[in-house]
Amino acid sequence: MSILAYNGGAVVAMKGKNCVAIASDKRFGIQAQTLSVNFEKVFEMSPHLYVGLPGLATDTQTVHQRLKFRQNLYELKEGRRMSPKAFSAMLSNLLYERRFGPYFVEPIVAGLDQNYEPYINAMDLIGCITQPDDFVVSGTCASQLYGMCEVLWEPNLEPDDLFETISQALVNACDRDAVSGWGAVVHIIEKDKVTIKHVKTRMD
Amino acid sequence: MALVELCNLESQVNVYPFQKQNELAEPEANMNLVNPMQLALPPLGNPISFMKQFSHTESGKPIKFDFQHGTTTLGFVFQGGVILAVDSRATGGQYIGSQYMKKIVEINDYMLGTLAGGAADCVYWDRVLSKQCRIYELRNRERISVAAASKLMANMIYSYKGMGLSMGMMLAGYDKRGPSLYYIDSEGTRTQGKVFSVGSGSVYAYGVLDSGYKWDLTDEEAYELGRSSIMYATHRDAYSGGIIRVYHIKADGWKHISNQDASDLFYDRKVQNI
Amino acid sequence: MSNERYSFSLTTFSPSGKLVQIEYALAAVAAGAPSVGIKAKNGVVLATENKQKSMLYEEQSIFKVETVTDHIGMVYSGMGPDYRLLVKKARKMAQEYYRTYEEPIPTAQLVQRVALVMQEYTQSGGVRPFGVSLLICGWDSGRPYLFQCDPSGAYFAWKATAMGRNYINGKTFLEKRYSDDLELDDAVHTAILTLKEGFEGQMTAENIEVGICDENGFHRLSVSTVRDHLANIP
Repeated sequence: MSILAYNGGAVVAMKGKNCVAIASDKRFGIQAQTLSVNFEKVFEMSPHLYVGLPGLATDTQTVHQRLKFRQNLYELKEGRRMSPKAFSAMLSNLLYERRFGPYFVEPIVAGLDQNYEPYINAMDLIGCITQPDDFVVSGTCASQLYGMCEVLWEPNLEPDDLFETISQALVNACDRDAVSGWGAVVHIIEKDKVTIKHVKTRMD
Repeated sequence: MALVELCNLESQVNVYPFQKQNELAEPEANMNLVNPMQLALPPLGNPISFMKQFSHTESGKPIKFDFQHGTTTLGFVFQGGVILAVDSRATGGQYIGSQYMKKIVEINDYMLGTLAGGAADCVYWDRVLSKQCRIYELRNRERISVAAASKLMANMIYSYKGMGLSMGMMLAGYDKRGPSLYYIDSEGTRTQGKVFSVGSGSVYAYGVLDSGYKWDLTDEEAYELGRSSIMYATHRDAYSGGIIRVYHIKADGWKHISNQDASDLFYDRKVQNI
Repeated sequence: MSNERYSFSLTTFSPSGKLVQIEYALAAVAAGAPSVGIKAKNGVVLATENKQKSMLYEEQSIFKVETVTDHIGMVYSGMGPDYRLLVKKARKMAQEYYRTYEEPIPTAQLVQRVALVMQEYTQSGGVRPFGVSLLICGWDSGRPYLFQCDPSGAYFAWKATAMGRNYINGKTFLEKRYSDDLELDDAVHTAILTLKEGFEGQMTAENIEVGICDENGFHRLSVSTVRDHLANIP
């Protein structure tokens, strides 16, 4: 079994009209054994910048901490916030540093850039960035998420509709994955507010 | 053929088709359509060692032949008869193939079998068992005992030991000796007992079941114990879930008690953040 | 005599609290060729004197005004070889920044990092301070920047400044001529005029160098462009 699927978990992000959404499930398990149902994999890095780190849970935490470390140094040194693009480049770099002994996470970055334009991307575990203009998925039920997103997503969704779309995509994808689910959390990022909603999902 | 004998090839390779391979086979039959015990075997002398060649890759990595699909099943005998409770999830690796599997097989009106392990193996051999039990009934003008049925099953499975069958089943029924419950698996185990749980979620189910079990349980208490044991198991075990099915076997045969969604049950109980 | 006891090791303070080697480095700068930098509304200009000691010298082959990255350039007063080492390091730092963040290095960041290198050379064993002061100009976040970097590692942000030989006169001249709403062309004009103050001999398009930076990036002006500018000067 892949080490990436050792703890289970999934993250998805979508672009909307002047907003982005990023959501994750809340399961933390060891293979089949569910140990916790409040392990979130999406982190706020700055007011308009979020990163999701599904994969091996220990690496989720380590990568998050090392990212925050580097981001803090950047922001102190330069006296300005990090753009999602610079942040992604930095993360990609951090991952490629471990090319021959990688962190087992496949990150998703979502946020609004300097001009409040929606920004999303996904990376593999050694930092190869893909930047589509609709949605990105990652985690143990990535294929199920692709299926859901492909059907549900449409351009220029308003924040409320985007929330509904991403929630349905995540919840139903998790229902076809044994090691994801057990609750979900959705972040809707707009210019002047971020809404966090916890979504009920199947608990088996 | 003379050449075959001359070269003593028979001891190396099985050059004959089905008939000669299987001692259990009737002379005129060569398909499992006629005799369910007659399955096609690998075309070599010793199927067990033959199968072993394919259990590992060239680099020594084990090949996933033992496709143990996750399950939680339980059964217990109590004052009111036998209870069986099972989940309904079928997985292929991480992927959930179905949430509506029927993991209890109705062998006859007085006997039920549960399945865990390879789905095809369980369903097939339960069907064979079902046939054997009916034949027994017709020949002997009385119902087969659970003990006899379970031994029939164990023997059939045992003849294929080492060839990759994967099943862990419970056989529950009511016969002239009263309620009884057996555990049988593809390793050849066959044991009688009062309380069993089988499958990847069994450890969790046992936790609830053992602490709540007593002989004097009322019927309702027994259903509830079976249900919540499965419910907690589906919560903890990623490979168990879906519908919780409960069956009750009494002197007058088996009865289906309930089908309930495991997740709905979880929310009903308001057991959150455990 | 007692002064000399503290003048060789960089890392030893003199009793009066000075690092004398740094003062000597500043003296080397003050003796070097003058250079000027002026910020305008829509860009920055750097200018310097590039007089050759012999008429046999091949002109337009070695330059003092250098590009660091698309939108940053620099010039120096002091010792040429030291300068080229800093240019090399600055270019490398700019590229490293771009590789990590995939965005161009802000001028202030480059200056900070170059200054850090210069500071290291005042505190490390077996080295001497750089014998140069730098003028670094750039354009980012929609506005111009102009910085000076000294051998000590100190750096300053200027609207306009002069370094090298006669720099005090140069600065006095700039204080009189500078205004906040200067256009880039006017700034080039003023820069050349500042150099002309105390220029020995005839100023030509060949013996000065001018670099400008605006929203299109940094570049050194060609001889003919400089000649055109000179033509506008009485």
